[in-house]
Amino acid sequence: MNSPDIAPSARMRGYVRADRRKGVRNYLVVAYLVECAHHVARKIAAPFEDEGVQLIGFPGCYPSDYAERVMAAMATHPNVGAALLVSLGCEEFHRAKLKSAVEASGRPVALLTIQQAGGTAGAIEEGRAWVKEQLPRLRAAPTAPLTFADLVVGLKCGGSDGLSGVTINPAVGRAVDWLIDEGATVMFEETCELVGCETHMARRARTPELAEALRDAVLKADAYHRDLGHGSFGGGNIKHGLSTLEEKSLGAYAKSGSRPIDGLLKPGVLPPRPGLYLMDTVNDGPVRFGIPNINDTQTIVEMVASGCQLIVFTTGAGSVVGQAIAPVVKGVSNTRVFERMEGDMDVNGGTIADGVESVEDVGRRIVAAIEKTAAGLPTKSEALGHQEFVLSYKTYEPLGPACLPG
Amino acid sequence: MVPARATMVILDPADNVGVALADIGVGEAGRSLDGRAVEALEPIPQAHKIALVDIAAGAEIVRFGVPVGVAKAPIAKGRLAHVHNVASRVLNNDEDNYE
Repeated sequence: MNSPDIAPSARMRGYVRADRRKGVRNYLVVAYLVECAHHVARKIAAPFEDEGVQLIGFPGCYPSDYAERVMAAMATHPNVGAALLVSLGCEEFHRAKLKSAVEASGRPVALLTIQQAGGTAGAIEEGRAWVKEQLPRLRAAPTAPLTFADLVVGLKCGGSDGLSGVTINPAVGRAVDWLIDEGATVMFEETCELVGCETHMARRARTPELAEALRDAVLKADAYHRDLGHGSFGGGNIKHGLSTLEEKSLGAYAKSGSRPIDGLLKPGVLPPRPGLYLMDTVNDGPVRFGIPNINDTQTIVEMVASGCQLIVFTTGAGSVVGQAIAPVVKGVSNTRVFERMEGDMDVNGGTIADGVESVEDVGRRIVAAIEKTAAGLPTKSEALGHQEFVLSYKTYEPLGPACLPG
Repeated sequence: MVPARATMVILDPADNVGVALADIGVGEAGRSLDGRAVEALEPIPQAHKIALVDIAAGAEIVRFGVPVGVAKAPIAKGRLAHVHNVASRVLNNDEDNYE
């Protein structure tokens, strides 16, 4: 893509962390470690919701390596500057381990245990006092210039329609090619929505071993959903013109652009170097704990756990979601939904179907939207206060040796 | 004379369906940028697929040069190709619902 009209990236600024990663936001996260602590955590965060205090958490009481890995990745994410952990006190989450991990990252952290803080009222008071004490320092934190090579961008689609694969997703693909050429790191996801694309995808792999791993990841997703009896297709997809999972997959795959694929990730694994990665979003092993990703937000959370500082999300039916830690840039496939929901949409790709703009034009606007977001300007969903977050039980084996070729 | 706006896209020459770029009414032509035209025998809403040729039952539905399903019944040229006459070869959810 020739992009002379994209402004120099000097305007993008970020927060440099001890591990050299850079954040585009400096959030304080309030994290509940079991559903029983959710209410207290929400009450602590509520007065500060427009001041960069974000609510995340894991509802389960039973232990989960996966959930603990994701929560640790969230609390030490480059967009996070401090973390308040809210525990009931008797859940099985390894809270001391999480606290140590945040401390080791150089971030201020506090562990608030409701059962020891005088119950609900005492815990809310103590939590709010800690947040209040932290905010001035977070606000005053210095920033440094960012380039596109500092960015880790996640791609997601939700509520796709029959035009997603014609307009906005190919435009995202052009933007991704451009970002990769600038040295950025990009990941795409939803192996269960790439069924039918595995052969083409394998041809783009850096090594033959990675090609095999990419193919296996899609076949695993296909087999898992077959056993489960329900795949990632239906409802709104059908209403908006998509007839089969294969057709939806084809459209979703267009987001990944045309560059070689450098690796296969699992949630919480950081990309070792810039390039294009596929996120494996489906459990390893037999069907366990049910549907792998219960909604769009869980997949986004998994990419954020692997270091994405921002997400590009495309929709046809009109999704409104944001994310608690990574700003979401929203693109829409058709002008009808754009006009109906303009307040939620950052980029209209419907102009391609209308014959007004080219895929290239919209791709450029997506890059410009990413640049603005990394410069600190709020996306539509951020400005509206969206901060979706969800985490459920899953099981993963460690990554195989072929997944991240050296 | 200004050519009429394209109202459908044919993503690959091998495709047997076009994708409606705008709502196409009964009797109106789905018109592609390269000048192909197919008269719609029923309403084809935006983002839905119109059969470009007569498609036999059991034949593949090809979009962007890729098979994306199989015709469950014959689909006449100009008809809507969708879940009522197209099945997935991978996965069909029995309990799908939408309102």
